[in-house]
Amino acid sequence: MSILGKKKSKVSEGVNMASTADIAFLLLIFFLVTTTFPKDKGLSIVLPEPGVEAQVSQKNILHLIIQPTGIVDVKRGESQQVVQMRPSEIEGLWRQEVSANPNMIAAVKTHPDAPYKFMVDVLDALKTANAQRISLQVLEN
Amino acid sequence: MAIKGGGFQKSSKATDEVPTSSLADIAFLLLIFFMVTTVFQSDRDRPIEWPRAAAAEKIDEKQKNILNIWMERDGVVYINDQAYSMDQVTTVVAPLYAASERALVISIRGDREVPYRFIDQVQSALVSAGVVRVVFATQLEQSMQRERR
Repeated sequence: MSILGKKKSKVSEGVNMASTADIAFLLLIFFLVTTTFPKDKGLSIVLPEPGVEAQVSQKNILHLIIQPTGIVDVKRGESQQVVQMRPSEIEGLWRQEVSANPNMIAAVKTHPDAPYKFMVDVLDALKTANAQRISLQVLEN
Repeated sequence: MAIKGGGFQKSSKATDEVPTSSLADIAFLLLIFFMVTTVFQSDRDRPIEWPRAAAAEKIDEKQKNILNIWMERDGVVYINDQAYSMDQVTTVVAPLYAASERALVISIRGDREVPYRFIDQVQSALVSAGVVRVVFATQLEQSMQRERR
């Protein structure tokens, strides 16, 4: 032992700051990886340009008339024969119609008092069946 | 002349360690960069009941090019947190559409039970504003997951 007294301790008093950057990076990367933003989802349609009206032959039109109760009246072109369906049955019907006539247009006519969800159901069914040509209208008396 | 250092080579003053003191600065810089560049949806959500659709697809457009039109059950229209009547929709949307250089996508966020006549009125208003791309927004992915749990 030296005469000068106690040996000085080698342990420093300060907290070790060298790893602070590592912690910051770790947090940064963690949040970068785990953050997911809610992406909007929906059924997209393309609206017609104002003033443009297309003439379509009646035999290429499939009328889908949505009643306030959610029942869909299906009518082919000029024929007066009406078949009542549920929105879930539209998908199969559309596939049949398109295989018979590739130029078919779905004219969705919704009753003004019908809830929006029934129109979405029908549009959903048509989209599921890969329908490209859809026209949305409101039912006029 | 005396030999400097008593003949021994003087050790270099440069340390063999990477200077780590600036790492924290880099981390903070990245943090601030991402904080500044992140864009959140600008309008607040209205309390609506979302319609559901299985065929719904993600909107392939930047967040800033999506304009939400909220429609409540009684037919009131909200755009950017403000209530509008039907005949104002065209005058509100048209300048926004022009400002976005016709890139704007309109997301119609209607309540499931809203009568279709209101949706049709908004659609005709959008047609007269010259809008082409419209999306009928359905339930968001996150809220769907929440429901499943």
